Amino acid sequence: MNTLAEQFSTTSALSKLKKTQALLEDEEMSDAMWGSQAGFGNVAQGSPSFAVPAVPDPSAFLRLHTDDRADPNCKIKIQHGTTTLAFRYQGGVIVAVDSRATAGSYVASGTVKKVIEINPYLLGTMAGGAADCQYWETYLGMHCRLHELRNRERISVSAASKYLSNLVYSYKGMGLSMGTMICGWDKTGPAIFYVDSDGTRLKGDLFSVGSGSTFAYGVLDQGYHWDMTDEDAQELGRRSIYAAGHRDAFSGNTCNLYHVKEDGWRFIGNYDLSKLHYDGPNNVPGAGYGYDIRIAGRASALQPAVAAAA
Amino acid sequence: MEILSYLNACGGHRLLTRIPPSFDMSVPSVHLASGFDFSNQIRNNFLAERGIPLPKATSTGTTIVGCLFKDGIVLGADTRATEGDIVADKNCEKIHYITENIRCCGAGTAADTEFTTAMISSNMELHALWTGRKPRVVTAMTMLKQTLFKYQGQIGAALVLGGVDSAGPHLFTIHPHGSTDKLPFVTMGSGSLAAMAVFESGWKPNMDRAEALQLVKDAIFAGIFNDLGSGSNVDACIITATSTEMLRNVEMPNQRAEKENKYEFKRGTTAWKKEEVRSLITSEQVTLIGVGDESMDTS
Amino acid sequence: MEYNGGSVVAMVGKDCVAIACDLRLGNQALGVSSNFPKIFPITDRIYLGMSGLATDLETLRERFRFRVNMYTIKEEREIEPQTFAHLVSSTLYEHRFGPYFIEPVIAGLSKTPSGDLKPFIAAADLIGCLNFAKDFVVSGTASAKIYGLAEALWEPDLEPEDLFETISQTLMNAVDRDAFSGWGCLVHVLTKDKVITRTLKSRMD
Repeated sequence: MNTLAEQFSTTSALSKLKKTQALLEDEEMSDAMWGSQAGFGNVAQGSPSFAVPAVPDPSAFLRLHTDDRADPNCKIKIQHGTTTLAFRYQGGVIVAVDSRATAGSYVASGTVKKVIEINPYLLGTMAGGAADCQYWETYLGMHCRLHELRNRERISVSAASKYLSNLVYSYKGMGLSMGTMICGWDKTGPAIFYVDSDGTRLKGDLFSVGSGSTFAYGVLDQGYHWDMTDEDAQELGRRSIYAAGHRDAFSGNTCNLYHVKEDGWRFIGNYDLSKLHYDGPNNVPGAGYGYDIRIAGRASALQPAVAAAA
Repeated sequence: MEILSYLNACGGHRLLTRIPPSFDMSVPSVHLASGFDFSNQIRNNFLAERGIPLPKATSTGTTIVGCLFKDGIVLGADTRATEGDIVADKNCEKIHYITENIRCCGAGTAADTEFTTAMISSNMELHALWTGRKPRVVTAMTMLKQTLFKYQGQIGAALVLGGVDSAGPHLFTIHPHGSTDKLPFVTMGSGSLAAMAVFESGWKPNMDRAEALQLVKDAIFAGIFNDLGSGSNVDACIITATSTEMLRNVEMPNQRAEKENKYEFKRGTTAWKKEEVRSLITSEQVTLIGVGDESMDTS
Repeated sequence: MEYNGGSVVAMVGKDCVAIACDLRLGNQALGVSSNFPKIFPITDRIYLGMSGLATDLETLRERFRFRVNMYTIKEEREIEPQTFAHLVSSTLYEHRFGPYFIEPVIAGLSKTPSGDLKPFIAAADLIGCLNFAKDFVVSGTASAKIYGLAEALWEPDLEPEDLFETISQTLMNAVDRDAFSGWGCLVHVLTKDKVITRTLKSRMD
């Protein structure tokens, strides 16, 4: 195994020669020994390439058979509905996502993990094509590790996100679909980068991605301060995902909450949105986020008969 | 069946030119104009442009057949109605009543077969009363083909019409555009090929009642088991010069195996927030009888 | 159907019927109201549920109210569920070539010649093809999911309280797997002497 580390440890001409020799040696080893190289067999040979449909214009073919708003009946369904959010504040980064996966109107799953743990210091969120996000962000994790080995220091969030954005840009127009936030902590402190499959890469304090993002932004913008306490920040993340899950048909089920601090990310918890609606995060009956729960017996329409008569 | 009486009075011409009743405020809408109402069409076209498609109508994927035998006609049908890939009705009736001695099997858009046959049935009844004669199969066939032709295939009804009248037994197929055939054995619907294969190999002239019924059953079975649009049970109808026998569910080869256990929820499983009970008893009087010499309690 | 979302189901029990709907009114993916019932009483013993386009639901509700009132005045008696089903059917078929985007579900108790009350349910497609089932009928965006659950959970001859549990669990669990239905559920159980209406505690996402 240490030959692999050696290959990438330096970049001198000598090592390059060594690398080539090592590669040749590698090829003598059986694939089974590498466990089919964990599915990333092409990493040593440069950027990965895919088998494309055997038609004159593969991306046009894919567009024809992949669902979008114009044609909901086509064969390949890509997960569209989602709410993900991340924001940066005094105490680090909060990452919160929902867990619903839909295929058309069908709720295919309510327990999807939409936060991808790239490494102990980096998180990626998932919106758009689930497979695209999972594959490329795992792939990104591998390159972040290689960066560490080469440079004897952790990759910055900026560099990691740029790596991803350059990568998806090279596949532009071929049907990749992802809207992701790369979140982490590096030398510069907490950082968030928004990267999508168009090739957009944005640095910012506060992002929300997905069909429920507008609803999440509503709560988020209203409650956001740089100087928040950790508890308030986590509550804001949870509350925002609840709002989106409530209003958006394609978001919901549960909320996964992560907190990134100087020593890396920590999983805070998984919250059932139905429980949040009725009982709130502390499981107190009647203390839920739900509108009708909050106004129970206090709205004008629900005035007791005595009060109405008076 | 209010629409039937509406349609009776009008010619096809007026259908297209009349004012939609819902927009015509000058006439009290108690006296609705008859026939189809096209007032939603512009709205629906607009919705379709906006990408809101029309929901699927129920269609009968269907195997329907008819065959001639020594004494008359045997009609047969499966009992599945579908809505896209969903079985909407597992035991519907596809052999429709026209008159006592004429029946009609329907395939295609379920509502169309239902209403078209009901409409012709009522017109046949009126015709019989007017002429004072036993209605003829050709009359029904002509009425049906003229209706369907008038609508240029827009009414999606594919029919097998059979009956016995003063001129003997008759068996017709009527296609949605209005064309007709008169044959000794016929099939229609998505299972027509499977059923026709059975007829082609098994039909012979001058069969007796039992043979003919068995052949019809076999033809419907072929549809039920080989065509995805057909299924469930077999309905048959035997019409002779003297009698009409409607054999509802003569064969039921697709009964569900009995459940060996039940999913019964304990009372109180479902949490509810609010309850409202509306009593339908407006007054109650309890008269006590034979309880000693106390006066009657009427509270 | 998917524009506003919503689902309705009706089931037969022992001397009773139940009809239930969700309470969501949406504008495609956006939930607009969580208090939009889709079931209306027609007479004391007929309840009509409609799912589909909300604007047509309102239009048809008024139209049926009018036509049932006219029937009651002309006939000097209450309309029977069977008759009402045909009234619904022919109203929809009048619009065969420009239909209302509605799939109605009817639940009621009909009078037998002996004076008893017999459970009655029916459903129709958007152009009025009636479906008289003996067990349950469904309509709406979650119809496929309700079919699946009802097919497994329904039993013949359920008492009113047991029928309530069955129809509630059927609807709620189906609706939780449908993006366009949910946001609360409403159940009516019609028995010989009373109508029980309950609002369920259901998922709100």
